[in-house]
Amino acid sequence: MPNQAGDAYALTTICPLENDAHQDRSVATVIRQRLKDLPLHEHSPFARVPNLYLCRLFVLDELTYQGSPARLDRLRSKYLVFVCDLHGPLDPFLAGLWDNAKETLASIFAFCVGFKDVRDGRTFAAFIEKCQLTTTFYFNGSTDAPLAEQLKALYLKQEFAKFAMDHQGEKADALQRAFADFVKRVEPSNLAGPTWRAGASTLDAAEVRA
Amino acid sequence: MSLLDAHDIQGNILKGYGRSAYPKARYLFLQVKEAEKARQFVRSLVPSVTTSAPWRDGANVARPAVTTNIAFTYHGLRELGVPRDSLQSFPDEFAMGMKARMDILGDDGASEPANWDPIWQSEVHIFVWLSASTTEAIDGKYRAIVALLEAAAPGVEILRGHRGPGKQDDLPYQEASALYGPDGTPQAHEHFGYTDGISNPFFKGNTAHEGALMGGGKVTTAPPETREGWEPLETGEFLLGHKDEACESPEAPTPSLLARNGTFMVYRKLHQNVGSFDAYLERLGAAFPGGKESLAAKFVGRWRNGAPLATFPSEKEADEFAARWAAARAAIASAPDAATRDAAKKRFADLNLQFTAFDYAKDIDGGRCPAGAHIRRANPRGALEFGVTGAFETPGAVSNRRRILRRGLPYGDSTERKDDGDHGIIFMAMNASIRRQFEFVQQQWMNYGNDFRLANDKDPISGNHRTLNGTPDGRMVVMSGAKDPAPPFFCTQLPRFVEVRGGDYFFMPSLTALRLIGDGDIDPT
Repeated sequence: MPNQAGDAYALTTICPLENDAHQDRSVATVIRQRLKDLPLHEHSPFARVPNLYLCRLFVLDELTYQGSPARLDRLRSKYLVFVCDLHGPLDPFLAGLWDNAKETLASIFAFCVGFKDVRDGRTFAAFIEKCQLTTTFYFNGSTDAPLAEQLKALYLKQEFAKFAMDHQGEKADALQRAFADFVKRVEPSNLAGPTWRAGASTLDAAEVRA
Repeated sequence: MSLLDAHDIQGNILKGYGRSAYPKARYLFLQVKEAEKARQFVRSLVPSVTTSAPWRDGANVARPAVTTNIAFTYHGLRELGVPRDSLQSFPDEFAMGMKARMDILGDDGASEPANWDPIWQSEVHIFVWLSASTTEAIDGKYRAIVALLEAAAPGVEILRGHRGPGKQDDLPYQEASALYGPDGTPQAHEHFGYTDGISNPFFKGNTAHEGALMGGGKVTTAPPETREGWEPLETGEFLLGHKDEACESPEAPTPSLLARNGTFMVYRKLHQNVGSFDAYLERLGAAFPGGKESLAAKFVGRWRNGAPLATFPSEKEADEFAARWAAARAAIASAPDAATRDAAKKRFADLNLQFTAFDYAKDIDGGRCPAGAHIRRANPRGALEFGVTGAFETPGAVSNRRRILRRGLPYGDSTERKDDGDHGIIFMAMNASIRRQFEFVQQQWMNYGNDFRLANDKDPISGNHRTLNGTPDGRMVVMSGAKDPAPPFFCTQLPRFVEVRGGDYFFMPSLTALRLIGDGDIDPT
């Protein structure tokens, strides 16, 4: 089914940019600068958004000419491409996106045609859905489980590997005691924490949120 | 099989000189000062350059007492006056040189170019290396080369700045030597104690030799113990101007006469931290089921005597094999007549095959040879199909494009078994594409583990293991077989056992191209 694979949802939007300038710079340049200034990984405003696996943003200037014999297609405007892989359905996700990252969204989408009508989560969702493309392209690095479950699973996997290495060769009773302590510490069924920090991409940064 | 012009191909390519016949080597690095005089030096050296022509063949050349070979960096070719159009047709990685590729190669921390031998802080242009059975023979040839340099002065200068034993850091050349056994004979092992240089690629045009084909060629779907289990690799994986495994002519400089029968060579001085290595093996080997030697074997995929784990999973089997092998070798020498000797040679050749003619088809889960062991990483044979027969068009489709000819030798003395000092291995590799072959193996297979489903684990021996919060952070999983109830064993806190101390990328031209370079006669149009 387009846009959906199990509970995973691929949101692909292309939002036309106003053919305009802002303080003597083209809006594409302004948006690129704003994107470049966004904090990354665990510091990204998008790391706060529930059930967002991955998102990408870029400005599309023009289609790539693929060589002869091929027709050269021209776009009528530049586009801001906004792609999210998420745990669906879409509506509650968009509400969560707006609630957690509205300042960032307002800054990045500021020069998109139609964004001036966005006032709240409901109008933001309407704007996004208008720009949405039907797609079957997914980020191939995630299951379709809720984000909190995936982060917990990642955390448990790392911690368990560490546990196995730290307690290698211990006698059965000592190992069992250590494992009981381990389970108590990592709380496997508690999704709220301790867990992998959303957005963290390295072990050093993956501070556990207790 | 294509017939190669062995007289046009520099020596050590079609067949390694071998460390028993040529256990000593000396590596000289030169800098061009004046183009025409430098070309004069190149011209004067040409008659000494050793080719790949077979020795001891009535119609061919006699085995030389000393071999001489020459290669050039990108800057060297430029200084020698190779035209700009030709220079720009060389692959980028060669033009950039090894130092500029440090991020790809993982040459960080102690391996950073800033920490290399002083010579590598200069711009190296020409590489000349000599091999012989004795240091005296090398001295003689070295003096002859110095005389050629003097005759062509001030065209080319020998660069000083190699570190050596003691505190020396301005030596005019790098010495290398096989390690010697108590009986005074050159041995095949390196400073960590492993038998080295066992398996090398076999390609079309190599002298027909079943023993080298089986294990050295590319795997087929037939059993690896059989002749049908192997086919020679395409020549173009190692020599420019010939068809490669993608049925293409490899990326090569123009004009084609400059490229044909040439190859790219990687030179790397690799320091070995033997003290750390011994200590780590001692410490972890005490906890490892099977003990220290077994753990050492798991690191590399071979027992230190060279017997592959894929065929000889236990130390007992490996030792028995080594004893049979030694006896078979002795039987050749003691054979009373020709017929007995021939039979003994046949038996010896059959045993030799067991060092190389294997794959991992029966060991996909790594219970014998871990998926992260050095030889399985460096040459996965058909293992990247992960047991799914027919996953690729040929089982070695991925690895066939990543093979390299290894022609290195140890250097220095490690009898004190300390990290400090100047001892390690001079790694030399030849391939048609440094980027696709050597650099890929280094970046993806030595310093990363994803292709082997080992996440970001690195090669236990040569990986550039990091230190995290003051603790070495290298890791290796020694897996147990799928049907083995034993748990896997984790090697943690692996320190960096091997550090880079210098090196560069060289173009090793054919004799034809060498003459063109010497004559300043290259026409790229």
